[in-house]
Amino acid sequence: MLAQKVFLKKTKRGNIIKEVREHYLRDDIRCGHPKCQKCDLVGSVNKALLTENPISVASVCLEPHYIVVDTNIVLEHIDALESEGFCNVIILQTVLDEVRHRSSPIYKRLKDIISNPARNFWVFVNEHRKETYVERQPGESANDRNDRAIRVACAWFNKHWKEEVGAKHGKAILLSDDKANRDRAESEKISSFSSYDYVESMKDFPSLVDKLKQKDGKGDGFSKRFLFPEHLAPAQINAGIKSGRYLKGVFYQSRTSYLEGSVNVEGKDPILVQGLEHMNRSVDGDTVAVQLLKKEDWSAPLEVVLEDDGFDSGDTLDPAKKLVSESAKSKDTQLTARVVGIVRRKWRQYCGMLQSNPVKGSNRHIFVAAEKKIPKVRIETRQSDKLIGQRIIVAIDSWPRSSRYPVGHFVRALGKLGDKATENEVLLLEHDIPHSKFSDAVLECLPEMPWTITAKDKLERVDCRHLNICSVDPPGCTDIDDALHAMPLPNGNYEVGVHIADVSHFIRPGTAIDQEAANRSTTVYLTDRRIDMVPELLSSNLCSLRDDGDRFAFSCVWEMDQEANIVATRFHKSIIRSRSSMTYEDAQNRIDDKADTSDLTESLRILLKLSKLLKARRIEAGALLLASSEVRFNVDSETADPIDVQAKVMRETNSMVEEFMLAANISAATRIHQNFPDCAMLRRHPAPPASNFDPLVKAAKQQGHEIIIDSGKQLADTLNAATDAKRPYLNTMLRMIATRCMMQAVYFASGTIEEPLFRHYGLACPIYTHFTSPIRRYADVIVHRLLAVSIQADSTYAGLVDKKQTQKIAENINYRHRMAQYAGRASVNLFTHLYFRNKKRDETGYILYIRQNAIQVLIPKYGLEGTLFLNKKKRKDEEVGADTELAWHFNEDEPSVTLDGHKLSLFQKLEVQVELDSTDIQHEKLVLSLVKPAIPGYSVAPAPPLPEEEESSTSKVSQEKDGARKRKSDGSSTNDQDLKEKNKKKMKKSN
Amino acid sequence: MTELLLSESEKTFILHGVQQNFRGDGRTRSEIRPIVMETDIVSHTNGSCHLRLANTDILVGVKTELETPLPAHPDRGRIEFFVDCSANASPAFEGRGGDNLAADISRVLARSYASPEILNLKELCILPGKTCWILYVDILVLEVGGNLYDAVSMAVKAALFSTKVPVVTVSTVDGGEPELDLSDDPHKATRISVQNAPVLVSLSRIGNYCVVDSTPEEENCSSASLLFSVTPKGMLTAVKKIGGGSFQQTSIQAAAKQAVSIGVEVNDKLLQKLQQEEEMGRKREKIGFLL
Repeated sequence: MLAQKVFLKKTKRGNIIKEVREHYLRDDIRCGHPKCQKCDLVGSVNKALLTENPISVASVCLEPHYIVVDTNIVLEHIDALESEGFCNVIILQTVLDEVRHRSSPIYKRLKDIISNPARNFWVFVNEHRKETYVERQPGESANDRNDRAIRVACAWFNKHWKEEVGAKHGKAILLSDDKANRDRAESEKISSFSSYDYVESMKDFPSLVDKLKQKDGKGDGFSKRFLFPEHLAPAQINAGIKSGRYLKGVFYQSRTSYLEGSVNVEGKDPILVQGLEHMNRSVDGDTVAVQLLKKEDWSAPLEVVLEDDGFDSGDTLDPAKKLVSESAKSKDTQLTARVVGIVRRKWRQYCGMLQSNPVKGSNRHIFVAAEKKIPKVRIETRQSDKLIGQRIIVAIDSWPRSSRYPVGHFVRALGKLGDKATENEVLLLEHDIPHSKFSDAVLECLPEMPWTITAKDKLERVDCRHLNICSVDPPGCTDIDDALHAMPLPNGNYEVGVHIADVSHFIRPGTAIDQEAANRSTTVYLTDRRIDMVPELLSSNLCSLRDDGDRFAFSCVWEMDQEANIVATRFHKSIIRSRSSMTYEDAQNRIDDKADTSDLTESLRILLKLSKLLKARRIEAGALLLASSEVRFNVDSETADPIDVQAKVMRETNSMVEEFMLAANISAATRIHQNFPDCAMLRRHPAPPASNFDPLVKAAKQQGHEIIIDSGKQLADTLNAATDAKRPYLNTMLRMIATRCMMQAVYFASGTIEEPLFRHYGLACPIYTHFTSPIRRYADVIVHRLLAVSIQADSTYAGLVDKKQTQKIAENINYRHRMAQYAGRASVNLFTHLYFRNKKRDETGYILYIRQNAIQVLIPKYGLEGTLFLNKKKRKDEEVGADTELAWHFNEDEPSVTLDGHKLSLFQKLEVQVELDSTDIQHEKLVLSLVKPAIPGYSVAPAPPLPEEEESSTSKVSQEKDGARKRKSDGSSTNDQDLKEKNKKKMKKSN
Repeated sequence: MTELLLSESEKTFILHGVQQNFRGDGRTRSEIRPIVMETDIVSHTNGSCHLRLANTDILVGVKTELETPLPAHPDRGRIEFFVDCSANASPAFEGRGGDNLAADISRVLARSYASPEILNLKELCILPGKTCWILYVDILVLEVGGNLYDAVSMAVKAALFSTKVPVVTVSTVDGGEPELDLSDDPHKATRISVQNAPVLVSLSRIGNYCVVDSTPEEENCSSASLLFSVTPKGMLTAVKKIGGGSFQQTSIQAAAKQAVSIGVEVNDKLLQKLQQEEEMGRKREKIGFLL
């Protein structure tokens, strides 16, 4: 049977056309009941049906029943639906379609539930079943029509099952939060319940009620007084934006003050928004419309740090108002505006913890997000006793005008606060790192084990198994993605080969595994955990160039002359057999061992010799060597708690491998850019603007060194010259400061910007990409594919040669890399905190920065940077018998701070005491206090030595469970990944 | 128009019949053959009509589109006619054969609808000088069985009657660019009033008499025809002579009177039937071409 769907559509150009679609109605669409004979005609499809005898878990409806949900239930209570309590749910196509239109993230979550056979979610295609199709009536809104379709389907289920399986085997009940719909359902003799009534009666799932979304203004706790001005309607906002009355931009909450934020409007300076009323319920990340204030009302950012203190201050904005008006209307006013409407919310789920309600037994609680930029959220939960002290996830539902805080609901608990596993989870969630297990679809893409090399493979690849190939990596590395070889040629030149794991052989474009890898984009290294980009079978076995068998590789082979000039380059896919997987130390020992003259060792010596030449040339060209301290944690083998930290050692061999990787990357970049001028995936590092270097130049000047920043080369040279024999750390610290002046290196598609901008500033080369670590970086996979096409080893596909798509991938990779870096840093922080828990230590530190009220201290032993606050203290003066105030005097020009004749200036050596401040359990932080120079009344007494601690670090053979790996220091980290290509952190498989 | 071969005696028979006010198919000179008509049968269009008059078969579709009004009439919408003489309709239409006739018909229609009394084109204007609706009337001649003009005009009127113009509201005109909002209810539409829309009445002169609704044979015997566009109120909006013969002034006047009386009646009956059909509502079973 055929029906027609007629609807009007507005085209992009503004015309209105009538569309007619054919709509086929059938009578053989299954109802989903396993016992229904009539619907089983189609044959037994291996799909999860509803269960035969649904057991009611809700006391409101004790008969066996199946739940038909209304769209509003899915949209608002998806968190509840995701929990185990809901089974035997029928999702009508009407609902599914509506959800898809309204919210794609929720649609995806719903699809995930449906695809889980254990949950018995059944999709009934009611729109195509003859009996349940309804046509829209004149004067009926689309919503009403859908509601009617849902009711018609319910009624049909009841009738159909009565006839086919008997009424006792189940009936359909409707779950809807729409009162009108429920009333109509009742009048049509369909049982219906509101989500709240139904869920509340599910006695076995008491926590479910908390997961229900809070309705606007529901409950009596909210005063009806409106605190905030109304938001404008979307139409008004659009009109205002068009006419220029309002500006649209993204709202960023200030990190330091909860009372202000800024709005970034394209083509304008950031606009200040001050005061809760003016911020008008915007949350960090929302796209908002703002109206500029009159010039005389413009303001300056607050200079004080403000935190929304402890308790639920009730629904009032008064204290906040006062604070704002108190802020001096200084002369540096800037554009100031107020938020008039929200264009798009960017609410997500937030990690944090519950602040207990002082009223015992109350269900209302305040949730404090771990991220300081997120306002507190009101939630309702009955499990507060259980949840206090746990990390939980909460979603914001709405922010009513009458409420001081947004209203949300509890989603799930992550675990105990301060627990390592919980904190790791928080870290991953907060940095948006996909860390779920690989799905079955992805795992199905893996080759079958045991994996063998076929004759066809041999035909397509160059057999390099006779070469003395070896890999050099940090200890404990399992994802070895590069190996090297070198040998002298008869003409006096050398052949040098870099062999990279051929990941693109296993990850074919468009497959599930490819999509997953593209989404993850990078392997994330946390201190005690590695989140792989590809499943472990690939990362640690098939693609890992271990010395235990034949592997596929993508080889870049050069002919180099004695001066390490590249005479010829060729790329090919190959089969290799690594002779040895060495650590840097192994390789170094072999090279140093004069007696060892084996082929392998000889080739290592050639490599080392050539790498030194390469490095010298690179430095000559102006490449920067930027310092950053690396730390590794010695981890207790049982508890996996860190018991000691040590800085990392650099060996000659590190730099040897690094040089060849850089060279391979440059060769690959040149090649793909030649062949694909438009869509090559490259990496660039923009030169920083001169103003970025101000702190560096200033700091060096104070130390009597001049830093010239006109070119990378001059910068490198002057940095090299800035040494002081007496202070070996001076140079390192200058380099650390230099690192922070740098820009971020990014991936891009070559067709999107002009060629001169391709330059990589840090490496001083005109073109660069990443080719050498396809196991842990997706960019390299793309580069491999491009290269494979360019040497005709593989075929191309549409997405590969599409500049826009490549750029899109590049942007995702950039985002993920940034997040991975932040997460890695956060992870080191976490471990540092664990290490310092219950410890108080005196350490040697150096002053890195001086500010008015604080100095930044670098503690090289841990690669740790901490802030030493120069608070005012009172000293009891015994002679006078009164308190004298100790205040530091700040000299901005030098810069230095002075107190009582003790002057602290840049790079000065200090003794500081480090301990962990756990007063704010959500944000533990390290606190430094001054020990030396000893200022009476100000410095603290040296910490008592910890004898048992000393012992443990010397006698206990601690297992190095994993190399620590994040450069702690590089706040504005730049090209670290390039420079430290090889210093990537790998992890030993936990035993 | 159509090449139809008639012998002299056949022509004489037709001529004598007309003289005696008793035509070959039993009609009098001013009688019209039965008409079968159905509106709203092409779902892609905003309004449509299928009309069959003896063997003459016409399909009319009306589409609405948004455009800028003409500078001369910034506050009015427009109506445009386009006729396609299908080669199926008659062997003479093969190739470009039908083009002249088609242009002729659309010209006559345009002229007969040109009077401002007929359609309230101001209703079709959304934003003066900016946006208005244009009614594109597409006429498809599927078969020719005589009296083509009249049949086409009736089908056009019926199609316009059934036309549903989408409801569009102007939400904002800020910044010079209007923002049009479309109602999401596909059933919500405005109708066009065809209370004053004309029909064409063509009178073919056979001998000394004029006959209405001539068959192809009669057309073959006719030396000339007069075409009147008659509104329901009896007003003439267009007159056209077709064919090589000539008319006396007095006979034109007589023919005009005859045409007005026939035209008023046709208009009347047509509207009556359209209303009847409308009352059958959306559930009416559609017949289409399976007549």
